[in-house]
Amino acid sequence: MAYLTQPDYVKYICSCGQLKPITNLYFCRHCLKIRCGFCICHEVDSHYCANCLENMPSSEARLKKNRCSSCFACPSCFHTLSTRATLARDPAGGDGKPPKKMYYLSCFNCRWTSRDVGIPDQPVASGGWPERTNPFTTRFNQLLDYYKAIAQQEKQEKLDKERKKFVTRGKYINLTDKTGLTGAMARNIAGLPSSESSSSVISNFVPSQASPDVEELPDDYHLKEIDLKQITRISQRTSCPELQPSLASRLSPRPRALCVKRSQRCRACDHNLTKPEYNPGSVKFKIELLAYYHVPEVKIISYETIKPGGTSALLLKLSNPTAHEMTVKMLQPEDVPDQEDEHKTIEKTLEKSLNLEKDISWNASFPRRPPPPNAGSVNLPAVSLTLAQRDDAAEYDDEPPGDNDDIILWRKSNKLALRLKLTTDAQAKVGSNAYFSFALQYSYRNTVPPSATVVQHSDHTLYTTLILDLGKVCE
Amino acid sequence: MELQDTYYNKSEYVETASGNKVSRQTVLCGSQNIVLHGKVIVQSDAIIRGDLANVKTGRFCIISKGSVIRPPFKKFSKGVAFFPLQMGDHVFIGENTVVNAAVVGSYVYIGKNVVIGRRCVLKDCCMIEDNSVLPAETIVPSFARYSGNPAKLITTLPEATPDLMTEFTKSYYQHFLPTTVS
Repeated sequence: MAYLTQPDYVKYICSCGQLKPITNLYFCRHCLKIRCGFCICHEVDSHYCANCLENMPSSEARLKKNRCSSCFACPSCFHTLSTRATLARDPAGGDGKPPKKMYYLSCFNCRWTSRDVGIPDQPVASGGWPERTNPFTTRFNQLLDYYKAIAQQEKQEKLDKERKKFVTRGKYINLTDKTGLTGAMARNIAGLPSSESSSSVISNFVPSQASPDVEELPDDYHLKEIDLKQITRISQRTSCPELQPSLASRLSPRPRALCVKRSQRCRACDHNLTKPEYNPGSVKFKIELLAYYHVPEVKIISYETIKPGGTSALLLKLSNPTAHEMTVKMLQPEDVPDQEDEHKTIEKTLEKSLNLEKDISWNASFPRRPPPPNAGSVNLPAVSLTLAQRDDAAEYDDEPPGDNDDIILWRKSNKLALRLKLTTDAQAKVGSNAYFSFALQYSYRNTVPPSATVVQHSDHTLYTTLILDLGKVCE
Repeated sequence: MELQDTYYNKSEYVETASGNKVSRQTVLCGSQNIVLHGKVIVQSDAIIRGDLANVKTGRFCIISKGSVIRPPFKKFSKGVAFFPLQMGDHVFIGENTVVNAAVVGSYVYIGKNVVIGRRCVLKDCCMIEDNSVLPAETIVPSFARYSGNPAKLITTLPEATPDLMTEFTKSYYQHFLPTTVS
């Protein structure tokens, strides 16, 4: 959580070139590449209301314009409205009947109530609230039908054109060509409405006409004093685009917008990266391929101030989140071998096995932003470090302190602390950002069950480049 | 950044058998109604109003300095009634924060100087930023990050939030050390 409350001190370079903290990255274990929110496909899994946590099928959500049917938002401050109960006073007075419970909507933030705008109290706690209808509903539907018909027509024309192109090349004569029976005729014979019926909507459509008569403004329009408390704000108007009330007395409760559960998919291999559980209250995932669980995590423990031309100490913590032992070696970013060819072979075999030839050229077409210039270099140890596997029970063990030397400060189950030296360029400007970068070479054991057709190695050597943000260069 | 060690005066804190560390400078009203489920840190000047209703916390909760944990009430036609306050595991409550919620789920981060209105429900894995005000009876869904006055959803949290929060509260507990007597 320190990740969410602090600035991002350590950033990883995603395979698409974006710089992100490890918490925002995904790891596709089929492509063996780091992915981020920018280069993956986001899909809507399910719609739910964040207030009542009720699931709604996507078809129903579309029908209800992605709004909950039982929860309302305050039209004034957009907070969720609560239902409050009162005892209705009998206007006739004292005929012995017990007072009836009546309900109204109230906002606990701005104290707006449905009574302010004259909505009568309801005898039931939920539902039954009057909906303000849009005066232009019929015109809207007309327009919608019209554009649907046009879209249909254009689609049909395109299809016809394609069919004509195709017919000339056809090796076999099909039945419709021989008999001259077209799709439209066949539909006519069968008594179905032909595709031409859509043109009736088009021909009957009346375009809107401008009228020269404009209503005169009232005489006191410029002189009348305005009560600003009665006029709505722009945000209040735009929250309800079809009505756009200009007076506070015309505000009405808005059904609350729905939330979605998303699943993520790798764009290169179409495998799911995350898939949440269906239940809106659940925080568990069925699939969760996050970089945080697969890529060695680097954290800064402390560092000395960065001075131009000087050397400073840097303490880093490396941890292995996987269930297998990991060998890590630190490299200079320019020493990372070009991984494209190596990974292409893996991708190719996978794609062949799935009969997929994915077009991922879009990825290359994006200009890659070069990583920020380094303020200096990290003096890296030339040794490989071994990180033990993650062991949740380890925290209960009293283990002896691990081996210490001049590089490794301490070692605890799957973590180790490193002592490194930073050399800052003599030309580094005082006050500029102190960025340092290095690369990690790490071994990764893939636990994807190998498919029958493809022989896959389970052990891989992967690379990732990191950028450390160590504040500013000081004097 | 790795968390830094925070030191406390050993004579000021009481450590129970289950690992709770509770400062002596706190106001725990109705302590028979307060259940701390183990490895919970309650720092100085915190107030827990167990006299109003039961207060239950999970494991690895951190209640920072000057925060107030107060069970919520509801008005009925015949007076008011207080409801118990439940808190899940791995919850962090920042300094000078007032919590009047009915339920606080697990893996919840509440910043400092926050007011959580009465009868709010904070679902698992959510975050309320510093200096926010959550109006009464708000429901905060999972993986939401709320901020402002009134607090609104500003962004979502990463999928790994349960593990991030577990690591954060555990390492906070590990780095909360008594000053060594030399």
